Amino acid sequence: MDILNELVAWFSDPAQWTGPAGIPARMGEHVYYSLTGLLISAVIAVPIGLFTGHTGMGGFLTASLANFARALPTIGVLFLIVLAAGIGLAPVIAALVALAVPPILVNTHEGVRGVEPRLKDAALGMGMRGGEVLFKLELPVATPLILIGMRTAAVQVVATATIAAYVGVGGLGRYIVDGQARQDLTMMLGGSVLVVALAVVTTLLFAGLRRLLVAPGLRAEAAAAR
Amino acid sequence: MITFEGAAKIYPDGTVAVAHLDLTVETGKTTVFVGPSGSGKTTSLRMINRMVEPTDGTVRIDGADIRGRNPAQLRRAIGYVIQQAGLFPHRTVLDNIATVPLLLGWRRRRARARAAELMELVGLEPAQAKRYPHQLSGGQQQRVGVARALAADPPILLMDEPFSAVDPVVRTSLQDELIRLQQELHKTVVFVTHDIDEAVRLGDRIAVFRPGGELAQYDSPERLLAEPVDAFVESFIGYDRGVRRLSFFPARGLSLREDVVFDDEDRVERARSVVAGDGEPWALVVDSARIPQGWVSAAQLDRAPAGVPLGSLELAPYGHTFDVGTDSLRAALDAAVLSPAGRAVGVDDEGRVVGVVSQDDLGAAIWSVSE
Repeated sequence: MDILNELVAWFSDPAQWTGPAGIPARMGEHVYYSLTGLLISAVIAVPIGLFTGHTGMGGFLTASLANFARALPTIGVLFLIVLAAGIGLAPVIAALVALAVPPILVNTHEGVRGVEPRLKDAALGMGMRGGEVLFKLELPVATPLILIGMRTAAVQVVATATIAAYVGVGGLGRYIVDGQARQDLTMMLGGSVLVVALAVVTTLLFAGLRRLLVAPGLRAEAAAAR
Repeated sequence: MITFEGAAKIYPDGTVAVAHLDLTVETGKTTVFVGPSGSGKTTSLRMINRMVEPTDGTVRIDGADIRGRNPAQLRRAIGYVIQQAGLFPHRTVLDNIATVPLLLGWRRRRARARAAELMELVGLEPAQAKRYPHQLSGGQQQRVGVARALAADPPILLMDEPFSAVDPVVRTSLQDELIRLQQELHKTVVFVTHDIDEAVRLGDRIAVFRPGGELAQYDSPERLLAEPVDAFVESFIGYDRGVRRLSFFPARGLSLREDVVFDDEDRVERARSVVAGDGEPWALVVDSARIPQGWVSAAQLDRAPAGVPLGSLELAPYGHTFDVGTDSLRAALDAAVLSPAGRAVGVDDEGRVVGVVSQDDLGAAIWSVSE
């Protein structure tokens, strides 16, 4: 249980909680990178997914692209972009976006495409136009699935944002990279615990978002279907 | 008035949904499109709100070609009810009903007030306004579907097999409800079904479609059952069309016997003298409010000791009754067939016995109307 005591000691050290290399600062960087990556991904993936899902156009292309992107090793992407664009925040965010777009895109596309045809028939038959069908029916009904896609993306992004440390822009990855370099197991473990905690908080946040954004009729319906 | 003029729908692969349809749907009446699957009845219905564009011919509403109207605007002026209702799962009952008024730009408050009115009209409890579709039964969902279609008070109502996914008991109550609504609202209803019984119940006019998208016969239900134009229509209507046709003749004209109806306080010998008098094998016993109690046979009356009140004898169940004022000959015949005495009990609207009619007398009455 030595390692546990050391971990407690690591977290209790007041020096750990102040300054630009302290936990709050690193956590702030980490959250900032993750959030930026996720938001950019959502801004790219959700509209494309809504479009392809609604029109049925480019469904195959979407799925293929997403699968291809999924197969990319994130760290490889990062180094590739660093080689091309140089050290900095941009390559990190770009790598995170490449990671987060596929799950959001696929879930948005599938969520919209999966809306029952008879509901679309009813919507059109009542005189809804294309945009109205999308925003008054398809988007609300697809929201639970879109949120699941975003949650998957968010957890992956939080875990992967540690790579920022490899190119020297901070984040919780610093503890892991530095710990590895110094053979400091406690430090590595401390960093990992922080990343895991952030991922858990992210999951909880999405549970809250679901309550906020998904209509009660859909929440209960999903629960009944389970 | 909705007019189909040589309307056809032939898909690029050569599939004929509707071959050539000439038909006029009268304003304020219920017109039923009925036929087996693949007969083009739903396609024809969907031409009216431009959910399907005919590949040939024209559809007019009150003389105007519907191609001259923007599809979305046209559809907002036509109520549309589909199978299993198609309610939006993310919206409450009230907001589902308010859909079209909101599309038309009504203020939310007004649209909701209108929706609440419609809930009452179709027989939904106000407490259900805040519920979501999945919390309702199939029958309730379809009531919401009808309310939603009526929300903007469209003159035309299109109903595409709306009641086919609910159980028979609920279906009957929904049909009754539609008949009641239609008596109140006088919409131009076009109703698609594959169920000829439903068509006969609801339709002022029935269009029978045959496979290949052709209109086989367009007639009143009564004439359709009496004179099917060909073997297809005859077999589609079914072998018991003769019995079904009796639905159109009121039981009001039947002559009922009152002399074989006795009070349960009456003595055995009184009933015996009447029954023995003309060889009538059964007498009906009623209570002091003339509510039927059961049948007693002539043989039982012969065996029973004198002085005993009829109510104390063992009575045979009277089965079900028919309402002399509102029921049809079909209901009377059914009551007679199911009765152990072979006689139907006719009652007034409060369930009091008016008289009884035997199968023989019913047969004679049926014979005379069928001529």
